[in-house]
Amino acid sequence: MTSKDMVKVTFNLVVIYLVGGLILAVVYGITSPIKFQKEKAEKEAALLTMIPEADKIEKLGDWESHKKHAEYYVGQKCDEVKVKIVTDEKTGKEREEKECINPEGIGYIVEGFGKGYSSYIHVLSSVDKNFLVKKINILGHGETPGLGDEIEKDYFLTQFVGKDVDGLEVVKAETQEKIQAITGATISSRAVAEDGVKNGVKMLKERMSGKEQG
Amino acid sequence: MSHIHRTNLELIKNGIFGENTIFRMAISLCPSIAVTNSLKNGIALGVAVVFVQTMVNVTVSAIRNFIHPKIRIPIYMLIIAGYVTIIDMLMSTYFRAIYAQIGLYIQIIVAFASIFARAEVFASKNKLVPSFMDGFGMGVGFLLAMVVISFFREFLGKGELFGFTIVAGKPLLIMILPAGGFLAVGLLMGFFNWVDIKFFGGKGASGVR
Repeated sequence: MTSKDMVKVTFNLVVIYLVGGLILAVVYGITSPIKFQKEKAEKEAALLTMIPEADKIEKLGDWESHKKHAEYYVGQKCDEVKVKIVTDEKTGKEREEKECINPEGIGYIVEGFGKGYSSYIHVLSSVDKNFLVKKINILGHGETPGLGDEIEKDYFLTQFVGKDVDGLEVVKAETQEKIQAITGATISSRAVAEDGVKNGVKMLKERMSGKEQG
Repeated sequence: MSHIHRTNLELIKNGIFGENTIFRMAISLCPSIAVTNSLKNGIALGVAVVFVQTMVNVTVSAIRNFIHPKIRIPIYMLIIAGYVTIIDMLMSTYFRAIYAQIGLYIQIIVAFASIFARAEVFASKNKLVPSFMDGFGMGVGFLLAMVVISFFREFLGKGELFGFTIVAGKPLLIMILPAGGFLAVGLLMGFFNWVDIKFFGGKGASGVR
């Protein structure tokens, strides 16, 4: 390789890196704020559908599920919701802020992970004041398409409604008291019911009852 | 493989039929098995590939005279990775529902043999417009193959199309499992060979052209 070649090779690579980096930076600059906002809005919307009767969802704390960070929330019903117009100090823009009068906790939402067949299943579960399951929402998973991904379907998820911790157990026969496994996806069904949801609700129950006593 | 004196239409047709990535060349087979278990995913990945393949061909063709031959391979790699990152960012921002399902495979487009092969075999030796046509044709050929394979797999495996139930129950569950992917690709490849030999007097995808 002559020195002329070396200069050309270096020049080629530098130009490609610079131009490519610049283009990527521009695209990232445009998309990332939109993506961030969408992610935030999606999370808020997902939380509100968990306890639709609630006026306000408030974060209570963090916990760990399979060494992953997870959060839990309380859904509150208000006697009255006051809407205030607040001026943002930084931007000077006006935005609405809701004030909750006499909030009353009507249920909890807990995020959790279940170890499935080929992935960790990210699940959101809501319970009422007596820790009976109200709703399950599968946020993400990488289970086998066609088999494991049936955990997203309503016929499986509606089984959870009204179950307490003891009822969150997977059986392979038809059942009313427990959760019936999906044909061909017992591991995924177990991961949702006995891992993701059950551990989350258990944790909630322990922490919440401990708080009330203390 | 000679690429002299072909009209634009011939170039596109070549990508779709003559040198179809999956059914004739039998390259980039991993995605044809990995994401074709539903029509929606197959189409989404196909569209992403059309974009990347076309843009990579155009870019490689545009800078083909400035690149030192010794480092052309790493340069192609950088160009492909750049476009894949762009489409990855765009899809994760604007098509979030689909991205949640096929995001992983979008990133794997970086390693697609078909895109790499066209950059090396065609775009690095041809002018801008033919390279565009070739890339577009190859991309559409890939997209069509994905549509055909995922149509059969989703329909036979789940009895659904686009997630809507057509036939109740699961007629042939194996079709949506990985094994069914091999079956579907192999049988369809055989079918297209048969059509080629029977009706067009071709030799089939025997590797000899």
